[in-house]
Amino acid sequence: MIQFKNVNKSYFLGEEEVKAVCDATLTIKKKEYVSILGSSGSGKSSLMYLIGLLDRPDSGKILLDGKDVSTLDDDELSKIRNESVGFVFQSFNLINKFTVLENLLIPTKYAKGKMDFDPHKRAHELLKKFGIYERRNFFPNKISGGQQQRVAIARSLMMKPKIILADEPTGNLDTKTGDEILDILESLNKEFDTTVIIVTHEKPVADRTKRKIYIKDGTIVKKYL
Amino acid sequence: MKKNGTYHVLKSAIVDFKRNKIRTFLTSLGIVIGVFSVVLLIALGLGLKNYLQEQFESLGANLVMVMPGSGFGGGGGGFGGPAGLFGGAEFDEKDVSNLKRISSAKYVVPVYFTSALIESNEGELSGYVMGMNEDIFALMDMTPLAGKFFTKSDVASRAKKAVVGQVLAENLFEDPKSATGKTIRFKNQRFKVVGVLEKRGDQEMDNAAIIPYKTTFGNINPEKTFWAIYLGVEGEEDVEEVKQKAETILLKKYHEDDFEVVEQSEILSTLDQIFAVVNGILVAIGSISLLVGGVGIMNIMYATVTERTKEVGIRRAVGATEKEILAQFLAESVVLSLLGGLVGLALAAIVVVVTRQFFPAEINFASILLAIGISTAIGVFFGVFPARRAAKLPPIEAIRYE
Repeated sequence: MIQFKNVNKSYFLGEEEVKAVCDATLTIKKKEYVSILGSSGSGKSSLMYLIGLLDRPDSGKILLDGKDVSTLDDDELSKIRNESVGFVFQSFNLINKFTVLENLLIPTKYAKGKMDFDPHKRAHELLKKFGIYERRNFFPNKISGGQQQRVAIARSLMMKPKIILADEPTGNLDTKTGDEILDILESLNKEFDTTVIIVTHEKPVADRTKRKIYIKDGTIVKKYL
Repeated sequence: MKKNGTYHVLKSAIVDFKRNKIRTFLTSLGIVIGVFSVVLLIALGLGLKNYLQEQFESLGANLVMVMPGSGFGGGGGGFGGPAGLFGGAEFDEKDVSNLKRISSAKYVVPVYFTSALIESNEGELSGYVMGMNEDIFALMDMTPLAGKFFTKSDVASRAKKAVVGQVLAENLFEDPKSATGKTIRFKNQRFKVVGVLEKRGDQEMDNAAIIPYKTTFGNINPEKTFWAIYLGVEGEEDVEEVKQKAETILLKKYHEDDFEVVEQSEILSTLDQIFAVVNGILVAIGSISLLVGGVGIMNIMYATVTERTKEVGIRRAVGATEKEILAQFLAESVVLSLLGGLVGLALAAIVVVVTRQFFPAEINFASILLAIGISTAIGVFFGVFPARRAAKLPPIEAIRYE
């Protein structure tokens, strides 16, 4: 489903060029539950942004369901992000001026075509599913971190995406809450057949997934050292 | 953008305005003041035009004026000065009697005009002296507040009688109604007040002593000339004919550049032209404050974009395109500016309503459109650069922004 062919991505930190992703070639199949494991600065987040189409490669090809997406324009990339990709971040990334329910509805505001569901109905269902329905009219900064991350997961699921990308989803949570979040992500993969990709630097987190992709200094390596 | 999206954009803007009430207020204030001053200046300009129009219309609808010089502008508008000051013809009694031959000219009034210190035993005022014949009262549809007007025989006999304007009467006598029969003095001559004119709202007439024109032929007007000749035409349809006949008569004696035959509508159209220019200048002055207001909006929008960088990143992650981000910030600056514009318009309307008690200021449809149009345009123009910055933020940098 997701294929990287010799993908390269560099950034400039001031004058210095940093090779964030170096000649990456990988395949993530449909419905896979996989983790990308690497230390801080290894390029794992850059890899995730490339998978999530928030960034374009300098060279190489990215194929989504066999279609080359590395040359698409902003409108087309945004459409795919909106319809097929759900992001879950370490710092939750909810918009604090909107309520929980309003945050869930944001992706539907950017729907490019007709949605096959009622946004409010779906939001309510997801809120109930993740046990945060009672908090729907709260602002994000008035609920706990664990609850915020549930909201973020619910938001990522609003548009029925094919892929969930979770960037250090447990990073800001205590172990118990973190485990609950990982349980939820695992269940999504099982229940909805969603491809779930967890980006983490914690081996125990990565160990819960079915497959691990190791990244070191921007290069995908066979073994985690 | 879809209806759903538009609503979301507006709601998002309003949520932000509510969160930053003082900032929103101050940012809009520039536009409030700008639109307020532009609309008010236009309203006052229109008011001045209305006021002068009323003045001219009080002269009577079917008035044809024979004036010296070429053109209304060149000859001096109104009772600008003594005959001949601006060059051109100095009319005399012969011209008056020639013009009287025009059958459709019901009234023919020679106009001598000068300023003078007018005194009575009770007071004095620097006013005007007008030498005219008895037709002026009918031509201008004047009514006496007290007494009566002088007559044809008064003109023929060079009677030392005067009809005084109400303002003049008020300055010369304790009770203007009691002025009749009393004596006033100007230019070393004594005149008996026979009547007081009802107030006309016409600065010249209200401050004038009108005397029989032949009476001026002594030491007041030794040249026996007139500044202008007014022709009163019975029907509007005859105005053109009277104008042409008057020109034909006068051309026998004067060069075409030395006189001008104008009707009131021409004066009004000249007024229109003058006020178009005056209004243009006023709007230009008011626009400076709008420009400053626009810069204020731009400044705040740049700050807002920086403040909400992370929000832009989140929106981009969930599928917002560059264009949608651009539209969102642009909508916010337009709403901000338009809000200011509407408040400015409302404030100007209040001031105009109050002003109308004593001055015919006016807010017309064009100034409403202008206020709304200009504030929208400012929102777009000054909002587009900050909005573009927001739209062009690289999503991954935006989302990492703390």
